[in-house]
Amino acid sequence: MDKNVAVYLCRGCDIGGALDMDALKDVAADEYDIELCREHDCLCGDEGRSLIAQDVTDGVNSVVVAACSQRFMQDAFTFDSVLTTRVNLREQVVWTHEPNDEDTDMMAQDYLRMGIVRAQKANLPDPLQEEVDRTVMVVGGGVTGLTAAQDAAAAGHQVILIEKGDELGGWMKRWAKGIPHKAPYTDPQPVDVGDQIAAVRANEKITVHTGTSIEKISGGPGQFDVTLRGNGAEPIRVGAIVQATGWKPYDPGKLGHLGYGTSPDVITNVQMEEILASGAIVRPSDGQTPKRIAFIQCAGSRDQDHLPYCSGVCCRATIKQAMMVREMAPDSEAYVLYKDIRSPGQYEAFYQRAQEDTGIFFTKADVTGVQNGGKILKVEAEDTLLGGNIQLEADLVVLATGMVPRSADGELIRQYVDAKAVVAKGEGGAQLENAKVTVEELGYLEDAEILNLGYRQGPDLPVFKHGFPDSHFICFPYESRRTGIYPTGCLRAPQDAQSAQEDGSGGALKAIQALEVTARGEAVHPRWGDMSYPEFALQRCTQCKRCTEECPFGTINEDEKGTPQPNLTRCRRCGICMGACPERIISFKDYSPEIVGSMIKAVNIPDEFDEKPRLLGLICENDAYPALDASGLKRLKHSEWIRFVPVRCLGSVNTVWIADALSSGFDGIILIGCKSGDDYQCHFIKGSELMETRSGNVQEKLKQLALEEERVQIVQVPINEFERLPEIVNAFAEEIDDIGLNPFKGF
Amino acid sequence: MAEALLLKPDRRFVEDLVGAGGGDLKKCFQCATCSVVCGLSNGSSPFPRKEMIWAQWGLKDRLVSDPDIWLCHQCNDCSQRCPRGARPGDVLAAVRQKAIEHYAFPSVMGNWVNSVKAVPLMLVLIPALLIAGALLVRGPLEAAVGYVDPHGHEFYAHFFPHWLLIVFYSGLTLLTFGGLIVGLFRFWAGMKANDSALGRGGAVLGFVPSVIKAATAVFTHARFGKCTDQASRKTSHFLAFYGFLALFIVTSWAVVDLYLMPLIGVESLYPFNLMHPMKILANVGGILLIIGAARAILKRMNVPADGKHQSTSFDWIFVWLLLLVGVTGFITEVFRFSVDPEVVSAIHNVAYGFYFVHLVMVFGLLVYLPYSKFAHIWYRTVAMIYAEHTGRTQEGQSLVQVAGTTD
Repeated sequence: MDKNVAVYLCRGCDIGGALDMDALKDVAADEYDIELCREHDCLCGDEGRSLIAQDVTDGVNSVVVAACSQRFMQDAFTFDSVLTTRVNLREQVVWTHEPNDEDTDMMAQDYLRMGIVRAQKANLPDPLQEEVDRTVMVVGGGVTGLTAAQDAAAAGHQVILIEKGDELGGWMKRWAKGIPHKAPYTDPQPVDVGDQIAAVRANEKITVHTGTSIEKISGGPGQFDVTLRGNGAEPIRVGAIVQATGWKPYDPGKLGHLGYGTSPDVITNVQMEEILASGAIVRPSDGQTPKRIAFIQCAGSRDQDHLPYCSGVCCRATIKQAMMVREMAPDSEAYVLYKDIRSPGQYEAFYQRAQEDTGIFFTKADVTGVQNGGKILKVEAEDTLLGGNIQLEADLVVLATGMVPRSADGELIRQYVDAKAVVAKGEGGAQLENAKVTVEELGYLEDAEILNLGYRQGPDLPVFKHGFPDSHFICFPYESRRTGIYPTGCLRAPQDAQSAQEDGSGGALKAIQALEVTARGEAVHPRWGDMSYPEFALQRCTQCKRCTEECPFGTINEDEKGTPQPNLTRCRRCGICMGACPERIISFKDYSPEIVGSMIKAVNIPDEFDEKPRLLGLICENDAYPALDASGLKRLKHSEWIRFVPVRCLGSVNTVWIADALSSGFDGIILIGCKSGDDYQCHFIKGSELMETRSGNVQEKLKQLALEEERVQIVQVPINEFERLPEIVNAFAEEIDDIGLNPFKGF
Repeated sequence: MAEALLLKPDRRFVEDLVGAGGGDLKKCFQCATCSVVCGLSNGSSPFPRKEMIWAQWGLKDRLVSDPDIWLCHQCNDCSQRCPRGARPGDVLAAVRQKAIEHYAFPSVMGNWVNSVKAVPLMLVLIPALLIAGALLVRGPLEAAVGYVDPHGHEFYAHFFPHWLLIVFYSGLTLLTFGGLIVGLFRFWAGMKANDSALGRGGAVLGFVPSVIKAATAVFTHARFGKCTDQASRKTSHFLAFYGFLALFIVTSWAVVDLYLMPLIGVESLYPFNLMHPMKILANVGGILLIIGAARAILKRMNVPADGKHQSTSFDWIFVWLLLLVGVTGFITEVFRFSVDPEVVSAIHNVAYGFYFVHLVMVFGLLVYLPYSKFAHIWYRTVAMIYAEHTGRTQEGQSLVQVAGTTD
């Protein structure tokens, strides 16, 4: 379809009074032969909008709106079948620079040039038309999975519930009583998971497979093909997956310092649940009723040598167990040795109720050891509230162990499988030796797979610290790095049964959302509603595998030769593959190496005698660009030499843009992205980290061109530090000024 | 670091404390608000926070040998401010009762003297029987030794002669006082053992200066005065304290006047007339005692049921005894000055009846002193001496510094 580009200049929000509007019009008309260029006092108002709408009716199909930031008034400037390009004259130009100034006008004109070039080069994306199956598969039949299944079914979806064990109900099925879930929150309450199991069994929309695991999952959201193990080879198709595989207790074998293994009377809280459920409190060694039971909290939790985190439930579980002990064996005493009692919210009432019992004794303590004195165990602790070091005699010691997610480290399993393949082949010197070491080290991953995903990057969800599926879970709960697969419940974060049920609802809703959005051909989180997707010009592919390896979401499989095989419903549209591709064969309809490269080249570079340096800022749309907007709203001035180009993610920056910028005469390039590292804020997990890696190549190139390496810099700005952004830009401008102009300017 | 201590949690003792008025002790979560708001707490190991967790764990040995429980005057600032409603002030009061009972010698007395159920036995039957018994043996005894009481013609001596009074009360009081001495020595040893187990407690100040400092604090009520939240309690205590002291001095002087002065040839002035300095002192003391005790009773009766500073039988028995000793004493005195001893009438029997009740009350107060709340005058004083002796008060403010400051 032929492009019919029109330009609209808004005079509102101080723009008209600060800029030479006629000069802007001249740029459109003279430099780009734009026939239709209108000005209006308030483009986003009804009158302004209908002005554009009329032109659209008359045949305009690509509009350039030079007004406020692209993050505002998006609805106002969206027209059916029209490509809208926003030019930010407000936050980036008039609110942050001298009005009616030559440099300010030059800046506005450059932004307009870039906008017009984009409007000419980019195309409106066609949505992906894929057939979407709306069945939700829930993996794990504990309280989380049961709730997810019920809620997905209640929302009208068919549900397939897979449980590895022989019965539904998970851990809760094995507990005699749970912590209270309703007012007055003071006493242990009977576990009602039996009712929930019956409801699930009776639900016609839910198909339950117990004693079943997953042989293989291929495809992507909307079209996962699942082969179940032990249930016929016929694959079933589901649209989205809720993984609710729950938790397991931290390995008490590692808690020898707390006496585990030295006496059968040192047990875990899970073993204690089993004793309580048996109806009689007897100690394992001799079947006697223990009179003194010591509960050691944070056994292997909040401990840098074990689990550094708090599972958040052990305190309440211990309070419950102590109360049950006192009820079942009134002559017994319970000693609770804690680091802190964590009984948040209403559970303070639960803690207080336990405190009132004269037979339940609490003290803060660092337990240093448990000695086996034959029939009597001796607990040693220091730093107690009782003053000094203490010893305490007990007949039974219960270690409150924390929760470990029942996850599988997909990426590590992939490494193990690859290494095994190398060993099986038996060729190659050092590589073979390394592979043998890897096989040795990762042997514990044999048969560790849960989902058995047919993904190039591994058979399970990638995990973050401590084995929790990686999703940047603070900002984006339930997200994982595998689109359409949502970890929930204790797999996602340690929590109690009630929270896990709520989590199950959350996971089900995310799964349903993914299905619906995929059916519309739109991206899921975080580029909600984006219709564009990457297109691969495979005839030029060199099988370098960078795209298949770098995609944070495992979108791209590969054949034996290494040719990428994209699964587009898995794609989040971040463009990291596009940034990675050295052959530049990956592009989106409205975002490509060519489009952005042309925008960069459209900037007017004054020659060396003007003493006006030009800096390029490639800035991430997720946090850094909003930060820039925020500094604009605060009218924080930044250098008038810089020209910003928003990018989908720093990871989508193809190094060709840097080469383009340097060759067209830019003096410096600053890449501004989200925080990387353990506490990353990158919306695409690895984008800014990948850019850091690629910048090594960039520096190499700078050296070859005899350019100073300071000319290209990467900075990471957390969104809350937006006030620093102008300072960063200005400091960069000063540094470039010191280095001097780009010697290639004008060539 | 001190050696690890083997804890012996004692649920029964926790329940004892709960029964003795420390019913909310389990609510404490060791935030230390109590120790921070306390105007008397001091130094590196402030009360009542540590006592609260000891109480929760039933660490009886530590609590009963803890001098700090006696450095508290129960203003209940802590109970007012406790965010959990654990009433540390009342818990310490319960601990003090248990400490007195613990050191009671013979130990059975500790439980009986403070029990409401035992009042008919301990405060009625036993004294009455003993007094009656004394009266029964009086005649035969006097006859056996050929003693003619020179004061026998006096009104009350006619009923209960002075020599018998002195022998009877001095004898029994000294007997139980022996028990008190045993208790106090054990207490001192307990404090030392406790401190050395916790790695503290070396002597810092000589014994005599410690006694002087502690006595100064006792007589000035300086530490009690720091309990600003309940200043009126200090006033009541001050009145009762000096009232009792005056009466004690007068009683002692009466013995001197009756039996020692004649030995050096000074004629006994007993019974004193109303303008005799000793009689004036006695009357003033009696009035102070009655006002002090009555104020204390009214104050305790007006505490709302859910309020801080609850009273137990341990408190009630003691304050009522004080008041009744004062009141029956006055009634007895009124009879003495209004009844003609020479004209025998029915009114004599009424007077003797009141005198008898008075004697029973005095018995309850003096003979049972080592086992009742009254024992606090000794345990507290000894604890204060110990605190000065070991520098405990120096860790924060000394008693004298406290005495010298006002808020």
